[in-house]
Amino acid sequence: MRAMIIDDSRAMRSILRRIVSDLGFETCEAGHGQEALDHLNAGFVPDVCLIDWNMPVMDGYTFITEVRANPEWRDITLMMVTTESEQRNIVRALAAGAHEYVIKPFTPDAIVEKLELLGLLQPAQDGALA
Amino acid sequence: MNVLTFFDPSSADLETPDPEDVRMLTEDVWLALLGEDEVLLPRLVPPGSPFDAAGVWSATVTVTGGWQGVVTVELDEDVARQLTGTMLDIPGTETVADGDVADAVGELVNMVGGNVKSLMPGPSTLSLPAVAAGRAAFPSDVTEACRLDLAWRGAPVRVSVHIPQ
Repeated sequence: MRAMIIDDSRAMRSILRRIVSDLGFETCEAGHGQEALDHLNAGFVPDVCLIDWNMPVMDGYTFITEVRANPEWRDITLMMVTTESEQRNIVRALAAGAHEYVIKPFTPDAIVEKLELLGLLQPAQDGALA
Repeated sequence: MNVLTFFDPSSADLETPDPEDVRMLTEDVWLALLGEDEVLLPRLVPPGSPFDAAGVWSATVTVTGGWQGVVTVELDEDVARQLTGTMLDIPGTETVADGDVADAVGELVNMVGGNVKSLMPGPSTLSLPAVAAGRAAFPSDVTEACRLDLAWRGAPVRVSVHIPQ
């Protein structure tokens, strides 16, 4: 499994990378949506993207709309991981094609639970972070 | 750091956040970033006192829209470096670069500010963080609506919320 972590904070990317790497994911990182699109166009097509909302250059919502506009990327699972918690924006992101939504702060278990719900992780792997 | 504000006083809801709510959400963010055993304790500081650490990192985010305000986090230098080391998984604080501190403190205020925004009337927008080494200086068109003086391992941490006057 491959995960792309898209967040303008290196520190937050580091936290998320440790979580998903411990679960066995190969990871790739981007500091904003455009950089993430560049990775996709260069051939790193992940199983899941973990996406911040509020980023410079290209925000997470725009990234989702760009990914969903390309049929070649329709199998990528998109999960927002963000402080943006207004109901209208959560609805917007889900309507645009996000599959799941995690609000910061989060625990590693919350990420694991969402990945399980999305079918990207078997429940038996729960102990990986214990 | 001079905090710049771009408020529209005609459209702002001047409601102030409940300090207890801000304390709880700050603790939630802190525990998520640093671990369940890393508690923030209250610290008695006279009203109006400047942040009293020898070395300081400060970071702000601005909320605009249905509610308007500035959320600021000020940290003792050593606290900022330890926070950064933990978030980036760097052992010790000597090897933590200033750029990494700015990044980690910016994410801290982003999380605190985003959660303060969620407490207040919307819709509103959160700015990207502004981070600097040094105390935050606020313009005269804002007033302090909420301030938490806290301590982590004995070192000072301050979270404040300013709103338009």
